[in-house]
Amino acid sequence: MSELLRRFRFALCYFALASLCALGMASRKAPAEIGFAPRLVLNLSLPLERMVTLPLSELRGVWGDYLALVGVREENERLRGRLARAEEENHQYREAILSSERFQKLAGFRAQREIPMVPANVIHQDLSPWFQSLIIDQGAAAGIRPGMPVITDSGVVGLVSGTTPGASKVLLVVDPQSRVDAYVERTRARGTVRGTSGHDCDFEYVLRHENIEEGDLLLTSGMGTVYPKGLVVGRVASVDRKTSGLFLGAKITPAVDFSRLEEVFVILEQRQIPAEESFSAADEGLWPAATSAPKTLAGDAAKAQPSGAPKAPARDVPKPAPAAPAAPKRAAHKPAAVDPKPADTPAAPQ
Amino acid sequence: MSALLRLLGIGLALLLAQAVARVVLPTLAQPDLVLVYALALGLRGGGVQGLLLAFGAGFVEDVLSASPPGLFALLCGTACAATRLLDRALYLRAAAPWAAYVGVYTLANFALFGAAQRMFAPDSVLPWSELLVRAPGAALTTALCAAPLLHVFRRLLVEADREGSWPVLATQSARSRP
Repeated sequence: MSELLRRFRFALCYFALASLCALGMASRKAPAEIGFAPRLVLNLSLPLERMVTLPLSELRGVWGDYLALVGVREENERLRGRLARAEEENHQYREAILSSERFQKLAGFRAQREIPMVPANVIHQDLSPWFQSLIIDQGAAAGIRPGMPVITDSGVVGLVSGTTPGASKVLLVVDPQSRVDAYVERTRARGTVRGTSGHDCDFEYVLRHENIEEGDLLLTSGMGTVYPKGLVVGRVASVDRKTSGLFLGAKITPAVDFSRLEEVFVILEQRQIPAEESFSAADEGLWPAATSAPKTLAGDAAKAQPSGAPKAPARDVPKPAPAAPAAPKRAAHKPAAVDPKPADTPAAPQ
Repeated sequence: MSALLRLLGIGLALLLAQAVARVVLPTLAQPDLVLVYALALGLRGGGVQGLLLAFGAGFVEDVLSASPPGLFALLCGTACAATRLLDRALYLRAAAPWAAYVGVYTLANFALFGAAQRMFAPDSVLPWSELLVRAPGAALTTALCAAPLLHVFRRLLVEADREGSWPVLATQSARSRP
């Protein structure tokens, strides 16, 4: 018997172990705690495994991070290009969203007003530091004439001082040549808003006893016939009650941020402005190719005026700036074109 | 005793080498070094102790993998037994026939693996198609790795036999010698 066992020891041993294995596999349960023997083997072998795999993973890291970098520069360049394109696209989308918001606001503003208006884009800002004007992309072809007021949803921008068929020059209210008849909303105190060539305006010819405070809202009076009544001009920034004189002084912060102006509306109400009163781009020598257009337009404006109608008072119109360095040409052409003071303002001195 | 320890050491080294190969080599070219170890332990001189070592190596592989417990142990034991049966007939004493045998047996081992899975652990069955895809590359690389190891295993087995560090092995192998 023992000889038999010894002879078939290998086979017996194999079948015994194989049976154990089969039993182990067959009796396998879903997630269960690891038994003693497997746990022992695991505990013994894992540190060894770790000893081998840890340096190996470090080596792979060194290889991947430092050595196998062929083509990374090209990929980097390619990805940079893609990033730049994506950023540009993103910028365009953002710009489109902002434009859409602005247009919606402007459309709402326009819908509120019944007066005919032409929307226009600002295409150029004044290059001179002494004057405040801009050029818009709508001109005589769109029905714009010199003297038409230009506004935005924020308030008064200025008035058209010259036109070509495809563009117009707008004199801003902050230009020293600009005058706007206005009143304080709260107290109805009237005066004249005059540009200072900076970012603010002066509120002139306001009687000393008038009640004006910082933050008061200024609206156009409509007295000058250029601007419709009730447009926002700005807010009182400071009040200087002089110890002597008839009038107080006040600084006005315009309602419109001219540095961020992109779209404007030109009110298509033909002011009855005399031909000699308007000045055009040709006068300024800015648009040589369009020299004839403003004159024609000015002529048209004159023709449009009824022959028997009295001339409109010279309010809210550009005033020449004799002291300004760039103005002599225009001043030489039309020295008496504009009224130097608010002639039709009751509060203004004559 | 030192020969036995060296055999154990080689088994451990092959286990670790297989772990490294899993990381370094592509899936289709990963050798089964534990199988080589089990096959080598079935060579002449291995005996029951070789069988026990083969089962043990398979058990360790079972523990270190997600296989059903006992699957690799069974396969390694079977490999050891198969070598013991075929050793004399195939004359596995030269590198070339040894490598060829290991290669062919690796292919057969894939079939056994699939069958054992379906018999004992049907819930974790790998499809035959995947086994067929992996088998050729694994057989080739396993055969290539096995060839240089034959000499080492034969020498260690003979040393263990001479030392008597494996008494049962010595008596059994002495009886089984021609």
